[in-house]
Amino acid sequence: MLRVRDGDEDSFRVLLDKHRNPLVHFLYRMVQEQAVSEELAQEVFLRIYKSRLSYEPTARFTTWMFRIATHLALNWLRDEKNERAQERLDGDRGGDLPAREVADRKPSVEQRMVYQARLQEVRDAIGKLPEKQRAAVLMHKYEEMEYAQIASVLGCSESAVKSLLFRAYETLRARLAHMVTGGPL
Amino acid sequence: MICPLKSEVNGADVSGEDAVDVLLDYSAGRLDESRLALFERHIAVCAECSAFLAGQAEVWQTLDAWEPEPVSVDFNRRMWQKIDAAEAAPWYRKLADSLRFGAWKPALPLAAAVFLVTTGFMMDHQRTVSVAPNVANAAGVSVTEAEQVEKTLDDIQLLRQLDAAAGAEPNSSKTM
Repeated sequence: MLRVRDGDEDSFRVLLDKHRNPLVHFLYRMVQEQAVSEELAQEVFLRIYKSRLSYEPTARFTTWMFRIATHLALNWLRDEKNERAQERLDGDRGGDLPAREVADRKPSVEQRMVYQARLQEVRDAIGKLPEKQRAAVLMHKYEEMEYAQIASVLGCSESAVKSLLFRAYETLRARLAHMVTGGPL
Repeated sequence: MICPLKSEVNGADVSGEDAVDVLLDYSAGRLDESRLALFERHIAVCAECSAFLAGQAEVWQTLDAWEPEPVSVDFNRRMWQKIDAAEAAPWYRKLADSLRFGAWKPALPLAAAVFLVTTGFMMDHQRTVSVAPNVANAAGVSVTEAEQVEKTLDDIQLLRQLDAAAGAEPNSSKTM
Protein backbone atom coordinates (compact mmCIF):
# COMPACT_ATOMS: atom_id res chain seq x y z
CA MET A 1 0.00 0.00 0.00
CA LEU A 2 2.91 2.34 0.70
CA ARG A 3 4.13 1.79 -2.86
CA VAL A 4 0.60 2.52 -4.13
CA ARG A 5 0.68 5.75 -2.14
CA ASP A 6 3.93 6.68 -3.87
CA GLY A 7 2.24 6.36 -7.26
CA ASP A 8 3.14 2.78 -8.19
CA GLU A 9 0.04 1.69 -10.10
CA ASP A 10 1.29 -1.88 -10.57
CA SER A 11 1.29 -2.33 -6.82
CA PHE A 12 -2.39 -1.48 -6.80
CA ARG A 13 -2.96 -4.28 -9.33
CA VAL A 14 -1.12 -6.66 -7.02
CA LEU A 15 -3.22 -5.45 -4.09
CA LEU A 16 -6.39 -5.90 -6.11
CA ASP A 17 -5.47 -9.45 -7.15
CA LYS A 18 -4.44 -10.44 -3.64
CA HIS A 19 -7.45 -9.11 -1.76
CA ARG A 20 -10.23 -9.28 -4.37
CA ASN A 21 -11.45 -12.80 -3.61
CA PRO A 22 -11.43 -12.65 0.21
CA LEU A 23 -13.13 -9.26 0.08
CA VAL A 24 -15.86 -10.28 -2.38
CA HIS A 25 -16.45 -13.52 -0.46
CA PHE A 26 -16.74 -11.67 2.84
CA LEU A 27 -19.16 -9.18 1.33
CA TYR A 28 -21.12 -11.96 -0.36
CA ARG A 29 -21.60 -13.73 2.94
CA MET A 30 -22.61 -10.45 4.53
CA VAL A 31 -25.18 -9.30 1.96
CA GLN A 32 -25.84 -12.70 0.33
CA GLU A 33 -26.16 -11.27 -3.16
CA GLN A 34 -23.34 -11.83 -5.61
CA ALA A 35 -23.85 -8.75 -7.79
CA VAL A 36 -24.16 -6.49 -4.76
CA SER A 37 -21.09 -7.96 -3.11
CA GLU A 38 -19.01 -7.25 -6.22
CA GLU A 39 -20.35 -3.71 -6.46
CA LEU A 40 -19.51 -3.09 -2.81
CA ALA A 41 -16.04 -4.63 -3.23
CA GLN A 42 -15.39 -2.30 -6.14
CA GLU A 43 -16.49 0.64 -4.03
CA VAL A 44 -14.03 -0.48 -1.32
CA PHE A 45 -11.15 -0.63 -3.81
CA LEU A 46 -12.17 2.68 -5.34
CA ARG A 47 -12.08 4.34 -1.91
CA ILE A 48 -8.70 2.79 -1.21
CA TYR A 49 -7.41 4.08 -4.53
CA LYS A 50 -8.80 7.56 -3.98
CA SER A 51 -7.36 7.88 -0.51
CA ARG A 52 -4.00 6.31 -1.37
CA LEU A 53 -2.16 9.65 -1.22
CA SER A 54 -3.23 10.28 2.35
CA TYR A 55 -2.71 6.69 3.49
CA GLU A 56 -0.92 6.36 6.82
CA PRO A 57 0.03 2.87 7.97
CA THR A 58 -1.51 3.25 11.43
CA ALA A 59 -3.21 -0.16 11.20
CA ARG A 60 -2.79 -3.27 9.11
CA PHE A 61 -3.95 -2.76 5.55
CA THR A 62 -6.44 -5.63 5.75
CA THR A 63 -7.95 -4.13 8.91
CA TRP A 64 -8.47 -0.84 7.13
CA MET A 65 -9.90 -2.59 4.07
CA PHE A 66 -12.32 -4.72 6.10
CA ARG A 67 -13.37 -1.67 8.11
CA ILE A 68 -14.45 0.07 4.90
CA ALA A 69 -16.08 -3.14 3.64
CA THR A 70 -18.01 -3.75 6.86
CA HIS A 71 -19.16 -0.14 6.96
CA LEU A 72 -20.46 -0.36 3.39
CA ALA A 73 -22.09 -3.75 3.95
CA LEU A 74 -23.86 -2.62 7.12
CA ASN A 75 -25.10 0.51 5.37
CA TRP A 76 -26.37 -1.57 2.47
CA LEU A 77 -28.13 -3.99 4.82
CA ARG A 78 -29.81 -1.11 6.64
CA ASP A 79 -30.94 0.48 3.39
CA GLU A 80 -32.17 -2.89 2.18
CA LYS A 81 -34.06 -3.48 5.41
CA ASN A 82 -35.69 -0.04 5.14
CA GLU A 83 -36.57 -0.68 1.52
CA ARG A 84 -38.18 -4.01 2.36
CA ALA A 85 -40.10 -2.47 5.21
CA GLN A 86 -41.33 0.18 2.80
CA GLU A 87 -42.30 -2.47 0.27
CA ARG A 88 -44.27 -4.31 2.92
CA LEU A 89 -46.02 -1.09 3.85
CA ASP A 90 -46.82 -0.42 0.22
CA GLY A 91 -48.35 -3.88 -0.01
CA ASP A 92 -46.25 -4.87 -2.99
CA ARG A 93 -45.44 -8.13 -1.31
CA GLY A 94 -47.98 -9.95 0.75
CA GLY A 95 -47.14 -12.21 3.71
CA ASP A 96 -43.68 -13.52 4.40
CA LEU A 97 -40.90 -12.71 2.05
CA PRO A 98 -39.90 -15.59 -0.18
CA ALA A 99 -36.60 -17.22 0.61
CA ARG A 100 -33.75 -15.80 -1.43
CA GLU A 101 -32.93 -17.78 -4.47
CA VAL A 102 -30.10 -20.18 -4.12
CA ALA A 103 -27.17 -19.57 -6.43
CA ASP A 104 -28.11 -20.60 -9.92
CA ARG A 105 -26.34 -23.93 -10.02
CA LYS A 106 -28.69 -26.41 -11.64
CA PRO A 107 -29.38 -29.37 -9.39
CA SER A 108 -28.99 -32.44 -11.49
CA VAL A 109 -29.61 -35.10 -8.84
CA GLU A 110 -31.55 -35.37 -5.63
CA GLN A 111 -28.39 -35.07 -3.54
CA ARG A 112 -27.67 -31.77 -5.14
CA MET A 113 -31.11 -30.50 -4.23
CA VAL A 114 -30.69 -31.60 -0.65
CA TYR A 115 -27.31 -29.89 -0.55
CA GLN A 116 -28.81 -26.65 -1.86
CA ALA A 117 -31.67 -26.76 0.61
CA ARG A 118 -29.32 -27.25 3.53
CA LEU A 119 -26.95 -24.61 2.27
CA GLN A 120 -29.90 -22.27 2.17
CA GLU A 121 -30.50 -23.02 5.83
CA VAL A 122 -26.92 -22.14 6.69
CA ARG A 123 -27.26 -18.89 4.77
CA ASP A 124 -30.53 -18.10 6.51
CA ALA A 125 -29.08 -18.90 9.92
CA ILE A 126 -26.17 -16.52 9.31
CA GLY A 127 -28.42 -13.98 7.64
CA LYS A 128 -30.65 -13.82 10.70
CA LEU A 129 -27.79 -13.02 13.06
CA PRO A 130 -27.61 -9.40 14.22
CA GLU A 131 -25.36 -7.46 11.81
CA LYS A 132 -22.35 -7.08 14.10
CA GLN A 133 -22.47 -10.72 15.18
CA ARG A 134 -22.66 -11.74 11.54
CA ALA A 135 -19.65 -9.62 10.60
CA ALA A 136 -17.69 -10.96 13.57
CA VAL A 137 -18.45 -14.59 12.72
CA LEU A 138 -17.54 -14.13 9.06
CA MET A 139 -14.23 -12.48 9.91
CA HIS A 140 -13.43 -15.06 12.59
CA LYS A 141 -14.57 -18.18 10.76
CA TYR A 142 -13.78 -17.47 7.12
CA GLU A 143 -11.10 -14.78 7.17
CA GLU A 144 -9.38 -16.25 10.26
CA MET A 145 -8.81 -12.80 11.68
CA GLU A 146 -7.48 -12.19 15.21
CA TYR A 147 -9.80 -10.81 17.88
CA ALA A 148 -7.82 -7.57 17.97
CA GLN A 149 -8.21 -7.13 14.25
CA ILE A 150 -11.94 -7.83 14.34
CA ALA A 151 -12.26 -5.40 17.23
CA SER A 152 -10.49 -2.75 15.23
CA VAL A 153 -12.74 -3.33 12.21
CA LEU A 154 -15.93 -3.21 14.28
CA GLY A 155 -14.75 -0.38 16.51
CA CYS A 156 -15.20 -2.22 19.79
CA SER A 157 -13.08 -3.93 22.43
CA GLU A 158 -11.61 -7.42 22.15
CA SER A 159 -13.78 -8.68 24.97
CA ALA A 160 -16.85 -7.33 23.18
CA VAL A 161 -15.80 -9.26 20.07
CA LYS A 162 -15.42 -12.47 22.06
CA SER A 163 -18.83 -11.93 23.57
CA LEU A 164 -20.35 -11.26 20.12
CA LEU A 165 -18.76 -14.43 18.76
CA PHE A 166 -19.83 -16.56 21.68
CA ARG A 167 -23.43 -15.43 21.40
CA ALA A 168 -23.41 -15.83 17.62
CA TYR A 169 -22.08 -19.39 17.73
CA GLU A 170 -24.60 -20.27 20.41
CA THR A 171 -27.41 -19.01 18.18
CA LEU A 172 -26.02 -20.90 15.20
CA ARG A 173 -25.75 -24.10 17.22
CA ALA A 174 -29.40 -23.78 18.16
CA ARG A 175 -30.56 -22.89 14.64
CA LEU A 176 -28.53 -25.56 12.89
CA ALA A 177 -29.01 -28.28 15.49
CA HIS A 178 -31.52 -30.18 13.33
CA MET A 179 -29.03 -30.20 10.48
CA VAL A 180 -25.92 -31.28 12.26
CA THR A 181 -27.59 -34.44 13.51
CA GLY A 182 -28.59 -35.32 9.97
CA GLY A 183 -25.06 -35.97 8.76
CA PRO A 184 -22.64 -33.87 6.76
CA LEU A 185 -23.79 -31.49 4.08
CA MET B 1 -8.52 -27.39 35.03
CA ILE B 2 -11.66 -25.50 35.96
CA CYS B 3 -14.57 -26.11 33.62
CA PRO B 4 -15.05 -23.03 31.39
CA LEU B 5 -18.77 -23.71 31.13
CA LYS B 6 -19.38 -23.56 34.86
CA SER B 7 -19.85 -20.03 36.03
CA GLU B 8 -18.49 -20.64 39.49
CA VAL B 9 -16.24 -23.37 40.76
CA ASN B 10 -15.02 -23.24 44.34
CA GLY B 11 -15.98 -19.58 44.52
CA ALA B 12 -13.84 -18.60 41.54
CA ASP B 13 -15.66 -16.92 38.65
CA VAL B 14 -14.48 -18.43 35.40
CA SER B 15 -17.32 -17.34 33.18
CA GLY B 16 -15.41 -14.32 31.92
CA GLU B 17 -13.13 -13.68 29.01
CA ASP B 18 -10.77 -16.58 29.66
CA ALA B 19 -13.51 -19.18 29.46
CA VAL B 20 -14.84 -17.75 26.20
CA ASP B 21 -11.28 -17.57 24.90
CA VAL B 22 -10.62 -21.23 25.53
CA LEU B 23 -13.84 -22.42 23.95
CA LEU B 24 -13.60 -20.18 20.89
CA ASP B 25 -9.92 -20.83 20.32
CA TYR B 26 -10.35 -24.57 20.70
CA SER B 27 -13.24 -24.63 18.21
CA ALA B 28 -11.22 -22.57 15.75
CA GLY B 29 -8.14 -24.74 16.25
CA ARG B 30 -6.18 -21.77 17.53
CA LEU B 31 -5.48 -22.89 21.08
CA ASP B 32 -1.77 -22.83 21.90
CA GLU B 33 -0.07 -26.12 22.80
CA SER B 34 0.12 -25.65 26.54
CA ARG B 35 -3.54 -24.70 26.88
CA LEU B 36 -4.58 -27.34 24.34
CA ALA B 37 -3.08 -30.19 26.34
CA LEU B 38 -4.64 -28.89 29.53
CA PHE B 39 -8.06 -28.40 27.96
CA GLU B 40 -8.07 -31.78 26.22
CA ARG B 41 -7.40 -33.48 29.54
CA HIS B 42 -10.37 -31.56 30.92
CA ILE B 43 -12.68 -32.49 28.00
CA ALA B 44 -11.92 -36.16 28.57
CA VAL B 45 -13.56 -35.98 31.98
CA CYS B 46 -16.14 -33.22 31.45
CA ALA B 47 -19.34 -34.28 29.71
CA GLU B 48 -20.66 -30.71 29.45
CA CYS B 49 -17.60 -29.34 27.68
CA SER B 50 -17.44 -32.41 25.50
CA ALA B 51 -21.05 -31.93 24.37
CA PHE B 52 -20.58 -28.21 23.87
CA LEU B 53 -17.52 -28.71 21.70
CA ALA B 54 -19.12 -31.50 19.70
CA GLY B 55 -21.99 -29.16 18.86
CA GLN B 56 -19.59 -26.35 18.05
CA ALA B 57 -17.48 -28.60 15.81
CA GLU B 58 -20.57 -29.63 13.87
CA VAL B 59 -21.62 -26.02 13.36
CA TRP B 60 -18.09 -25.23 12.28
CA GLN B 61 -18.23 -28.07 9.75
CA THR B 62 -21.62 -26.94 8.51
CA LEU B 63 -20.33 -23.43 7.96
CA ASP B 64 -17.36 -24.82 6.05
CA ALA B 65 -19.73 -26.09 3.41
CA TRP B 66 -20.80 -22.57 2.47
CA GLU B 67 -18.67 -21.89 -0.55
CA PRO B 68 -19.04 -18.42 -2.01
CA GLU B 69 -19.67 -17.84 -5.68
CA PRO B 70 -16.59 -17.29 -7.85
CA VAL B 71 -15.80 -13.66 -8.56
CA SER B 72 -16.78 -12.44 -12.03
CA VAL B 73 -14.01 -12.66 -14.59
CA ASP B 74 -14.47 -9.03 -15.61
CA PHE B 75 -14.20 -7.73 -12.03
CA ASN B 76 -10.80 -6.08 -12.61
CA ARG B 77 -11.83 -4.55 -15.93
CA ARG B 78 -14.92 -2.97 -14.35
CA MET B 79 -12.78 -1.85 -11.43
CA TRP B 80 -10.32 -0.02 -13.68
CA GLN B 81 -13.17 1.55 -15.61
CA LYS B 82 -14.47 3.00 -12.36
CA ILE B 83 -11.02 4.23 -11.41
CA ASP B 84 -10.55 5.87 -14.82
CA ALA B 85 -13.95 7.53 -14.52
CA ALA B 86 -13.10 8.79 -11.04
CA GLU B 87 -9.73 10.13 -12.24
CA ALA B 88 -11.37 11.93 -15.14
CA ALA B 89 -14.00 13.55 -12.93
CA PRO B 90 -13.88 17.36 -12.57
CA TRP B 91 -12.13 18.78 -9.49
CA TYR B 92 -15.32 19.84 -7.73
CA ARG B 93 -16.68 16.30 -7.90
CA LYS B 94 -13.40 14.94 -6.51
CA LEU B 95 -13.63 17.47 -3.71
CA ALA B 96 -17.24 16.51 -3.02
CA ASP B 97 -16.22 12.84 -2.99
CA SER B 98 -13.38 13.43 -0.58
CA LEU B 99 -15.75 15.29 1.75
CA ARG B 100 -18.31 12.53 1.40
CA PHE B 101 -15.75 9.87 2.34
CA GLY B 102 -15.20 11.70 5.59
CA ALA B 103 -11.42 11.99 5.30
CA TRP B 104 -11.79 15.41 6.90
CA LYS B 105 -13.64 14.10 9.94
CA PRO B 106 -10.59 13.52 12.15
CA ALA B 107 -9.61 17.17 11.57
CA LEU B 108 -12.92 18.46 12.92
CA PRO B 109 -11.97 18.64 16.63
CA LEU B 110 -8.69 20.36 15.73
CA ALA B 111 -10.47 22.84 13.47
CA ALA B 112 -13.01 23.56 16.22
CA ALA B 113 -10.21 24.15 18.76
CA VAL B 114 -8.35 26.48 16.38
CA PHE B 115 -11.57 28.38 15.68
CA LEU B 116 -12.30 28.84 19.39
CA VAL B 117 -8.75 29.99 20.21
CA THR B 118 -8.68 32.40 17.26
CA THR B 119 -12.10 33.82 18.09
CA GLY B 120 -11.16 34.25 21.74
CA PHE B 121 -7.87 35.92 20.84
CA MET B 122 -9.50 38.27 18.36
CA MET B 123 -12.25 39.28 20.77
CA ASP B 124 -9.72 39.94 23.52
CA HIS B 125 -7.33 41.76 21.21
CA GLN B 126 -10.09 43.86 19.68
CA ARG B 127 -11.15 45.09 23.13
CA THR B 128 -7.66 46.38 24.05
CA VAL B 129 -6.93 47.95 20.68
CA SER B 130 -10.31 49.55 20.32
CA VAL B 131 -9.71 51.83 23.36
CA ALA B 132 -6.81 53.85 21.90
CA PRO B 133 -8.36 54.73 18.54
CA ASN B 134 -11.51 55.86 20.28
CA VAL B 135 -9.61 58.40 22.41
CA ALA B 136 -7.63 59.66 19.43
CA ASN B 137 -10.68 59.73 17.23
CA ALA B 138 -12.58 61.74 19.82
CA ALA B 139 -10.03 64.52 19.36
CA GLY B 140 -10.16 64.20 15.58
CA VAL B 141 -6.54 63.09 15.19
CA SER B 142 -4.99 59.82 14.13
CA VAL B 143 -3.00 57.55 16.43
CA THR B 144 0.29 58.51 14.72
CA GLU B 145 -0.37 62.22 15.15
CA ALA B 146 -1.21 61.78 18.82
CA GLU B 147 2.04 59.88 19.36
CA GLN B 148 4.03 62.65 17.59
CA VAL B 149 2.43 65.34 19.75
CA GLU B 150 3.17 63.33 22.88
CA LYS B 151 6.81 62.91 21.84
CA THR B 152 7.18 66.60 21.06
CA LEU B 153 5.78 67.52 24.47
CA ASP B 154 8.27 65.15 26.10
CA ASP B 155 11.12 66.76 24.13
CA ILE B 156 10.04 70.27 25.19
CA GLN B 157 9.88 69.20 28.81
CA LEU B 158 13.37 67.71 28.56
CA LEU B 159 14.76 70.93 27.04
CA ARG B 160 13.19 72.99 29.84
CA GLN B 161 14.80 70.77 32.43
CA LEU B 162 18.17 71.17 30.67
CA ASP B 163 17.71 74.96 30.57
CA ALA B 164 16.82 75.01 34.24
CA ALA B 165 19.86 72.94 35.05
CA ALA B 166 22.14 75.17 32.96
CA GLY B 167 20.73 78.37 34.66
CA ALA B 168 21.34 76.96 38.12
CA GLU B 169 24.96 75.94 37.47
CA PRO B 170 26.61 79.52 37.22
CA ASN B 171 24.92 80.62 40.47
CA SER B 172 26.27 77.67 42.34
CA SER B 173 29.85 78.38 41.02
CA LYS B 174 29.58 82.03 42.18
CA THR B 175 28.68 81.02 45.72
CA MET B 176 31.78 78.85 45.82
